[in-house]
Amino acid sequence: MHAIEATAISKKFGNLLALSDVNFSVADGETFGFLGPNGAGKTTTIRILTGITVPTAGTATIFGHDIIRETIAARRQMGIVHEISNVYDDLSAWHNILFASELYNVPRSAGERRGKELLELFGLWERKDDRVKGFSKGMKRRLTLAMGLVNDPRLLFLDEPTSGLDVQSNLIIREVIRELTGQGVTVFLTTHNIEEANLICDRVAIINRGQIAAIDSPERLKKTIQSVQSVEVAFDPSSPKLLEHLRELPLVSEVRKEGDKFRLITEDPSGVIENVTTYAREHHTRIISMTTIGPSLEDVFIRLTGLMIRVKGVKAID
Amino acid sequence: MTDLNESCGQLCRELKAAWAIAKKDIRIYYLKPNIIVSGMLFPLFMFLAFAIGRDAPPTMLVPGLIAITILFSASSIEPVSIPIERRTKTFDRLLSAPVSLHSVVLGESMSGFLYSTGIALVPLSAGIILFSTPIVQPLALIGGVLLTSFCFATMGTLFAAYPTESPGDIMSMLNLVRLPLIFVSGVFIPVNALPPIGQIAVLFSPLTYGNDLIRAAFEGTTHFNPMMDVLAICVFILLFQLAANHLYRKFNE
Repeated sequence: MHAIEATAISKKFGNLLALSDVNFSVADGETFGFLGPNGAGKTTTIRILTGITVPTAGTATIFGHDIIRETIAARRQMGIVHEISNVYDDLSAWHNILFASELYNVPRSAGERRGKELLELFGLWERKDDRVKGFSKGMKRRLTLAMGLVNDPRLLFLDEPTSGLDVQSNLIIREVIRELTGQGVTVFLTTHNIEEANLICDRVAIINRGQIAAIDSPERLKKTIQSVQSVEVAFDPSSPKLLEHLRELPLVSEVRKEGDKFRLITEDPSGVIENVTTYAREHHTRIISMTTIGPSLEDVFIRLTGLMIRVKGVKAID
Repeated sequence: MTDLNESCGQLCRELKAAWAIAKKDIRIYYLKPNIIVSGMLFPLFMFLAFAIGRDAPPTMLVPGLIAITILFSASSIEPVSIPIERRTKTFDRLLSAPVSLHSVVLGESMSGFLYSTGIALVPLSAGIILFSTPIVQPLALIGGVLLTSFCFATMGTLFAAYPTESPGDIMSMLNLVRLPLIFVSGVFIPVNALPPIGQIAVLFSPLTYGNDLIRAAFEGTTHFNPMMDVLAICVFILLFQLAANHLYRKFNE
């Protein structure tokens, strides 16, 4: 039985078609990433799968329970971590977590035991009696995640779990996700952090303008755009003129400046290496490092969503 | 038998979740300044504006004060709490929990009900202690206070279904209904002293029946049959609950 099975889901808001014929399934125990630019339909999909919103057409099941007809049975299987840390600022961390356990009908003693475990796991136990109002963004995020786990869900929806967080919170949350997947919990993750999806997910779906553009494992998706290979090179000294010069090199289709390095997109990496070496020799500049890089999941994302064209070279994916 | 057990189990889970929602509201919202102003001070000043200078006995004024205190306090929690929770997205937490929308509406209404029942003790105590107002039918008082509180708490939850993140939007709409209700419910002007059109209008106001029951507790007589008062309030509660459930579902789509 699949953890999630979405069949021909469409959603209209007035005249706007937010989702169009979306089909996918997530296997029990799988970590599934859902990527897409803003407004692509990620949040609408999560709202439909969690029974908050009803689809205009199509169906979805959670462990075999229809999300429209058997909403409560389906929701009992899941934990939900919303995009915004929706904790109660005027309650303490402890009362927040107890409220979540009561809402999910976890017996009092089990809720207290689980609440203590989770607050300890997320490094919040020392602050359990403090009102959440004084917590940092990362602490609130960790508490939101703890509240989503209080019922020991078989399926966890994570909407942008690490977006904009400090390093400590990021590390804790990623470690917990790794532990959960190790325990067989199914994770449905939306993220803007493509590298995160690449590292964590068994499969990813890329959604754009309400339609699924691709679904596969990160590695197989990368293979679909082998033409997007690149050479990453750093020079000493580095100057702003380099960007212009590198663009004029033969075989280079595009150049991106990435920190102190340049990334030269090409279909022929060995030819470009030769050209760069010649350029460096002729211009008396030293190559500090040079590496060939295969297509990244981000390249797949950009290619499938057409984002690069719209933003004229800026790699914003939010 | 298994189906019956499952149904009982589900009902129990729903009631527990509703109570958890009510407790959360009690912890967070009871001491918010706008709720204190809207729920306690506003009815007091309304009452003073009408009562001062009128040569009316306490047995006439105290029931009216209790009734309008309940009207304003019961319907003040949700119009504040729900828009705030929409803004902070904590309302999504309730909508995505494994409980029915009925339980969410019930839980939200329960906090207004308990708040209002507690607040109603203030004018009641003042009537007994300051004016030595006698209570001749305690059962009518208890029934009247509890039912009227629950009815207006549910009305507050119904108005809060309007999809806004600003409490002011809902309070404005609510006052358009609450203020006229005072004049067509026999609170300050007895029902039989109203013009014919007013006597028809009172039938559509839940405050009429609540006020009638509470007045019976002090004066010993009612305008309507007490059982009709109880039945009418129960019908209003049911209508508000069903309408609220429908609107939360509709606005959420």
